[in-house]
Amino acid sequence: MEQKTVVLGVIGSDVHAVGNRILDFAFTQAGFKVINIGVLATQEEFIHSAIETNADALLVSSLYGHGEMDCRGLREKCQETGIGKIIMYVGGNLVVGKQDFESVKERFLAMGFDRVYPPGTLPDTPIEDLRNDLGMTID
Amino acid sequence: MDLTVRQMDAEEFQRQRQEVLGQWQTGKDVFFEEAVAYQKSLPKSKIFAEKLAEGKEKGITYAQPRAGVALINEHIELLRFLQDEGGADFLTSTIDSYTRQNRYTEAQAGIEESAMIGRSMLNGFPAVNHGVAACRQVVESVQVPVQVRHGTPDARLLAEITIAGGFTDYEGGGISYNIPYSKDVSIESTIKYWQYVDRLIGLYEEQGVKINREPFGPLTGTLVPPAISHAVAVIEGILAVAQGVRSLTLGYGQCGNLIQDVAALHTLPVLAEEYLVKLGLPKVMITTVFHQWMGGFPQDEAKAFGVISWGAVTAALGKASKVIVKTPHEALGIPTKEANAAGIRTTKQILTMLKDQSLPMTPELALEEDMILAETRAILDRVLELGEGDAAVGTVRAFQAGVIDVPFAPSRYNAGKILPARDTTGAIRLLDFGNIPFDETIKEFHRERIAQRGRDEDRDPSFQMVIDDIYAIGKGMLVGRPRG
Repeated sequence: MEQKTVVLGVIGSDVHAVGNRILDFAFTQAGFKVINIGVLATQEEFIHSAIETNADALLVSSLYGHGEMDCRGLREKCQETGIGKIIMYVGGNLVVGKQDFESVKERFLAMGFDRVYPPGTLPDTPIEDLRNDLGMTID
Repeated sequence: MDLTVRQMDAEEFQRQRQEVLGQWQTGKDVFFEEAVAYQKSLPKSKIFAEKLAEGKEKGITYAQPRAGVALINEHIELLRFLQDEGGADFLTSTIDSYTRQNRYTEAQAGIEESAMIGRSMLNGFPAVNHGVAACRQVVESVQVPVQVRHGTPDARLLAEITIAGGFTDYEGGGISYNIPYSKDVSIESTIKYWQYVDRLIGLYEEQGVKINREPFGPLTGTLVPPAISHAVAVIEGILAVAQGVRSLTLGYGQCGNLIQDVAALHTLPVLAEEYLVKLGLPKVMITTVFHQWMGGFPQDEAKAFGVISWGAVTAALGKASKVIVKTPHEALGIPTKEANAAGIRTTKQILTMLKDQSLPMTPELALEEDMILAETRAILDRVLELGEGDAAVGTVRAFQAGVIDVPFAPSRYNAGKILPARDTTGAIRLLDFGNIPFDETIKEFHRERIAQRGRDEDRDPSFQMVIDDIYAIGKGMLVGRPRG
């Protein structure tokens, strides 16, 4: 099967680098080609990297609470640049304060994300989901 | 201006000052003489350096929370709550992440949206946007000293505004607020930005105003070996004192093994004093700050209190001057004020219970202290050698060469070649030394300790061990033992 490509990054003014390194390692181990744009990543960087590498998915992390402001409009920008259907996942501490995760999830789904993950999710979960969403059957 | 450890000349400082105060409209309200007079009007009980000196004399370990929200009134309410309900000995204004990247327009949008929807959209207090008068309102609303804590590579304007605003302690440094907090900013430029901050504080000191400075100890907060954070803390201390800073609090983040953590707390001021003398710099007041667990936290609040308590025990037994407190909401991001106060109360209960106890010297503790001293000296001596005696120049070259290397750092100016892992007792060792200049004796010590863990777990040491260590705390362990 051809190798699938993901763009991985921590969005906005966020500098949390540890989880980013682990996700990079875990997705690479799982057979994906990982384009890691690192921390302090802008929406534009996600999109440019996706276009350049013909990526299959955007994996957006946000750990510092500004995720709601930083992620708005990302789906629309993808549509404007011709990659409107790209799979988009988001995960981390997405909002300020302890809020009910179901309502947080709804807000991010409404923004156009395909899947939303709470804090403490291990890499195996999104890896499994992505395999399903990309129709990668395990032989 | 060439990089040097020497004191910045007055002309260069004034030239930069014009530029810095023009970076956002609130800069125009900063007047040095007036700010000196305001600082001098503060009672002793609100001055960080004074209270730290008192605690040092009496052997007290103080507790300090982190805290910050977008709007002034809510921020004041939060700090008062932590003081009155939490019993905080010191308070903090934690600065939001947009301000940390000098994005004042975005911070302004965050303030406006917070006011509109009635909850804080920012993860901290945007002090630059609020300005000098608002900062003074914060300081005047509470009874204990307040510190600025952030993570800002270029924090010159923030320093001008908050110190004029009555804050008496300022966290950060040219290395510790660059390497863990940015991607593309050179160390040379952040050292220069922070020399400006330190020189500004030196100017206040020369007018009789005491402002304490605190390099950020824990760096990336994940598996950082003590010798690396100690080397950075000592260098930032040298850089600060060279600009006129006279009161330093050096920091260290909990690793989790009691012996290693207490050894780290004991050796940190020893090393700083040693190198200040060696470089002919003046004697200053040195205190220590211990950071409760900076890595990932368990989501369960009861388990989180367990982690908080272990940090409090270590701070008490290691006789830190103060401890920075975590909250039971840590795994989920910014805490409510109630959760924050609960973290402080938990910590203070332990600090007061253990105030008359300390960890006795044992062969294990002595060995750990000797290792940290030898490892830190190996790094610092190489830094000074690379800089031909100049700590600022040496630091830039040391990062280029990987002589200082911080694990899991986002900065591309960091080599990122070392790999830390826990030994079988949970102490942090190096699995891969990168270019850290340790001699064979030190390397053999690390290799043997990690090999022992490998034997205990029946596997070869590898990156998987490191990943297991990072996730271990969420599974109720310190050492990431293999699954199954």
